[in-house]
Amino acid sequence: MAQSSSASDLSPWTALLLLAPLTAVMLLILIYPLGLTVWTSLYNGRFSFDAYVELASSTLFLRVLRNTFEIAIGGTLVSLLFGYPVALHLAAQPPRKRTAYLIMVMLPFWTSILVKSFALVAVFGNQGLINQFLGFVSGGTLNVPMMFNRVGVILGMINFLLPFMILSILGSLLALDRRLILAAETMGAGPLRIFWKITLPLSLPGVLAGVLINVTLSIGMYITPALLGGRQDMMVANLVDFYTRQTLDWTAASATAVALLILSGLLVALLGKVRGSAGLAGAGA
Amino acid sequence: MTASSTPAMVELQGVAKRYGEVNALHRVDLSIAKGEFVTLLGPSGSGKTTLLNLIAGMITPSSGRIVIDGRDATTLPTNRRGLGMVFQNYALMPHMTVFENIAFPLEVRRLSKAEIKRKVGEALELIQLGHVANRKPRELSGGQQQRISLARCIVYNPALILMDEPLGALDKKLREQMQLEIKRLHAELGITMLYVTHDQDEALTMSDRIVLMNGGRIEQQGTPDTLYFRPETVFSAEFIGSSNLIPGTVEIGADGAYALNTALGRFAAPAPERAIKAGERAVLLVRPENMALADAATPASVAGHIEDSILLGGVVRHFVRCADGSSLIIQELNQPGRSGAHRGEAVRAAWQPQHGRLLPPAPAG
Ligand SMILES: Nc1ncnc2c1ncn2[C@@H]1O[C@H](COP(=O)(O)OP(=O)(O)O)[C@@H](O)[C@H]1O
Ligand SMILES: [Mg+2]
Repeated sequence: MAQSSSASDLSPWTALLLLAPLTAVMLLILIYPLGLTVWTSLYNGRFSFDAYVELASSTLFLRVLRNTFEIAIGGTLVSLLFGYPVALHLAAQPPRKRTAYLIMVMLPFWTSILVKSFALVAVFGNQGLINQFLGFVSGGTLNVPMMFNRVGVILGMINFLLPFMILSILGSLLALDRRLILAAETMGAGPLRIFWKITLPLSLPGVLAGVLINVTLSIGMYITPALLGGRQDMMVANLVDFYTRQTLDWTAASATAVALLILSGLLVALLGKVRGSAGLAGAGA
Repeated sequence: MTASSTPAMVELQGVAKRYGEVNALHRVDLSIAKGEFVTLLGPSGSGKTTLLNLIAGMITPSSGRIVIDGRDATTLPTNRRGLGMVFQNYALMPHMTVFENIAFPLEVRRLSKAEIKRKVGEALELIQLGHVANRKPRELSGGQQQRISLARCIVYNPALILMDEPLGALDKKLREQMQLEIKRLHAELGITMLYVTHDQDEALTMSDRIVLMNGGRIEQQGTPDTLYFRPETVFSAEFIGSSNLIPGTVEIGADGAYALNTALGRFAAPAPERAIKAGERAVLLVRPENMALADAATPASVAGHIEDSILLGGVVRHFVRCADGSSLIIQELNQPGRSGAHRGEAVRAAWQPQHGRLLPPAPAG
């Protein structure tokens, strides 16, 4: 690593000193609460794995866990499906236009998640814009429930996930050497072949990064499923909330949280592995 | 300039390209014969890439017509022009192996698997890189990568191959090796090649014909010999080879003999190819190798003193400072036992009048 050469010029003590403030902050706000959570999950008057054993045999937890992964992966896939074409379009724009469009992509970030959720209800809800229109054209017979169910959760989530997906794919697409496309064109390749054989494979690192970020973000989703999902769309984070605030079972809550952390860590590691091999395949830029 | 007996591979008719206020290419007429090796030579920004990309179809001309292989291609999309192109940065697909890279244009042409395998094998054989078929481009050296990109081009036998400074990223030795390799492929395959470079030596080595570009225009075109021995402008003379240029005023004697009145004296010179009137400004060109150190005054000689002498292996270069402050370059063959010229020594730079060449003065600015 060429970049690290200047850092290694520092004496170890200086380096430690420079790292100290951040380390202290991390210890305070990340490691300490995490440690406390793990401790709480294992110690309830006495030291035991009971909470985990109970968790593993709890049908509620297992169902919620399956929900969580389904929703996270589903939301990520939908976000990829919508995000890729947008990134492709953005990459084809001249820089100034691209900046304007990017601001539009980022807009959801500056809006409160509550406001966004209510806006979605206004559009997709039972009395929302779309259903009013459907009811009007069908004479009141057609009403597609899109809120307070799985569709609602995913609609709400991609609103939040899309910018991450678009930005990481866009990064890969912009790093793609335009001369490769020109070379393919001179060799007679049409746009479809160029997309499948060149653009898509070379943007895979961005796709995988986007998927990784999306899965990570959505696995811990909490407000959106609570606001826009139905009763059967409970996610692990909501379960933790349920244990801490409804049943006041801190041990179960902690064990659930730790289990989620470990499982999502495993998933991320798995995806990271895929990403690593894609990078080795020469797609890296 | 092209032999009219062979049909043209490419024909540019009044082709121009503007970018807003910038005239990247003024109206250019150019014809390239089938099987010819033509080099676009010129300084950076002279419009070489623009001209090449117009033929490739990557940009469309602001005006004019482009005919490729007898077919009007002015607005034809790049992928239907049937050309090959070699890029300076190789433009090999980083995610494909060498084999897959070379197979790509054949897959585009929907050849059978067996045929693709055979043709890729032959192409790799031709560039003597059969052993790297399964490697990724990044595992190869720059020279190998450029040979792969050449193979990727010739494998589908395009009628015309365009190359934009393909050797610019290679070191000198490799560059010379590749020049010969490209020449060999051209001779063996008979493909028409249009080659872009800003390196005069490369252009002289490789071309059947050199098209010298200057400021978006064709300055002069012809064989390497023509450009070297019969430059028509000061720009041509200075861009190709080194030159001694002595400015002055034209004199035409009663017998029609030309001479130039200069600050260094009056020198007889052969009649110019493009008529210059008496009394007009002109420049006398004498190539350094046509000048020699002389002891006595000859009809065409200038007095000065040696400022420096450098040895370039087989030849020696003397830099002679003249009385008016201008400087001349003399190039002589290096002989064993050559009597060395010493710095500060008073000498005469002499040449045969018939080796001089009168050129119109360089445009101001
Ligand atoms: N896309 C472009 N936009 C504006 N000006 C351009 C563009 N491409 C080339 N030019 C200008 O056109 C002229 C010729 O460029 P180019 O053909 O690339 O020269 P060369 O290849 O001989 O170095 C230059 O002055 C360059 O700045
Ligand atoms: Mg160029």
